Amino acid sequence: MSLDTPDNKPTSKARAARKAPASKAAGAASKAGAASKAGAANTAMLPAQYKAFTDTLLTVLSGNLQARVPKELVGEQGAEMAHLLNQVLDNLAASEHRKQVSAQEIDQALDSLIGLVREGDLSRWNTTTEDPQLGPLLEGFGKVIETLRTFVREINEAALRLSSSANQVLAASTQHETSSTEQAAAIHETTATMEELKHASAQIAENAGSVARVAEETLGAARAGRGAIGEFIQAMQQIRSDGVAVADSIAKLSKRVERIGTVVEVIDEIADRSDLLALNAALEGSRAGEAGKGFSIVAAEMRRLAENVLDSTKEIKNLITEIREATAAAAGAAEASKSATESGEKLGAVAAQAVEGILAGVQETSDAARVINLATQQQRTATEQVVASMAEIEDVTRQTTQASKQATGAAAELTQLAGRLAELIKRFKAD
Amino acid sequence: MAPDRAVAVQARPEQEFFCFRVGDLRLGVPSENVLEVLRAGLLTPLPRTPSFIMGVTGHRGEVLPVVDLLRFLSKGEARIGPRTRLFVGISGSYVAGVVADTVLGLRRIPVAEILPPPLGGDASAEHLLGVVQGHGAQDSINLLNFSKLLQTARQRAVAR
Repeated sequence: MSLDTPDNKPTSKARAARKAPASKAAGAASKAGAASKAGAANTAMLPAQYKAFTDTLLTVLSGNLQARVPKELVGEQGAEMAHLLNQVLDNLAASEHRKQVSAQEIDQALDSLIGLVREGDLSRWNTTTEDPQLGPLLEGFGKVIETLRTFVREINEAALRLSSSANQVLAASTQHETSSTEQAAAIHETTATMEELKHASAQIAENAGSVARVAEETLGAARAGRGAIGEFIQAMQQIRSDGVAVADSIAKLSKRVERIGTVVEVIDEIADRSDLLALNAALEGSRAGEAGKGFSIVAAEMRRLAENVLDSTKEIKNLITEIREATAAAAGAAEASKSATESGEKLGAVAAQAVEGILAGVQETSDAARVINLATQQQRTATEQVVASMAEIEDVTRQTTQASKQATGAAAELTQLAGRLAELIKRFKAD
Repeated sequence: MAPDRAVAVQARPEQEFFCFRVGDLRLGVPSENVLEVLRAGLLTPLPRTPSFIMGVTGHRGEVLPVVDLLRFLSKGEARIGPRTRLFVGISGSYVAGVVADTVLGLRRIPVAEILPPPLGGDASAEHLLGVVQGHGAQDSINLLNFSKLLQTARQRAVAR
């Protein structure tokens, strides 16, 4: 920086300023010397008086401006001259003092400026002057420095705020980056899940399709079952009416058999009587002797016939008994069959109702499966759309992540810059 | 009278027997001692008679005592059912009904086949004419001396 280069100028000026009073003083002294010479020329001056003047002037010339011509030494003649000379010296001293004061003030101002330039310290500017010539200059400097102070203060504040804002931006963009990374991961997971969902819905659609097929088959089977049950009920009714006919036939058969029984009883009675008659005839023939022999043989034959009849009727009776038992059993069986067919009909009706229920249920199942199939197909389409959208979102998120990374980098750089700025601005001390 | 004629006419003399079964007994009675065969109808029990007299029944306007041969021969007791027969036996002037479960029929038996009654038999043996062997032991028939039997029965009945 070129802040150091103007360093020599103020000092040279100061030196120039310091030389000036010395030459002036020399001037003044020479004047005073001339005046005192003129006074001496006009009036005759005593050597002692002269010496007092010269000593005083020599002392003044050596730098002591406080030196005055002692009035008691000069006497009456030199008093006025001494008084004038002393006045001159007084003015000279005052002027010198003023010069010194202003030089000090200028030095102070220069020191402040040097401090400002070297260390950026604006706080040390506190210079005032009574010098009417320097006053406006210093006042102008003061105004400039005050403005600079305000600037530095504001810049400092702004840099601090910028730094904190940049930090916040960095934090925010870091967080944003993290969350967009998380978002990307989440979107990826979501996409995977949606893929799975798609597969699952395809599976569901397939299953629903097979359920619908099975339900269709079940429907056919249940319809066949309904037909079969209808036929079963008809067959049961047929069996029942047949059973009633059988029971009637059995009752008729039973009556017939009873009739046969009575007829057989009659035949039996007749055969028994025939047996007795044949026996007695044989006895008669036997009593008739040789003449009745043939008669006896015929009678014996008749008796054998009657006995045959009796054997036959006995067999018939046994058969009738068996038939009676059999018909009783058949009647019981017919009765049992009747009640069984009745309960069979009832069961058939119940089964028909159940099959109707099954039919309705299977119809509903089939419809529901079809609806599920459609819905899952729609769901699959929707899922595919969602997957596509998710892919787009993933792309966008990747871009966002990229952008937020860049933003984070930029924010970091910004933070660094803000820190640097704050560092730089710290060099300027405002307060 | 009949045996004489049979002997006269035939080289191998035969005798006709009325054969019947009562209880487990198969018995035969000479056919000349049998008048006719009836169904065992209602019997009227008689007081103060031996146990073998089952009672009396009416036959062709006469009162006919009915004899239980099983009781008489101490072989059990006869039962009267719907098929039970009653033959009217006669010996001289004595007529009696005899209970038979089944009538086997009239049989002409060669006299030579009639075996003597077994010795040392029970009391019933005294009323036997003899025994005819059939094809098996079951078919053998004990031939009764009906006249003697009826006589003994009458004696027993009177003795009481």
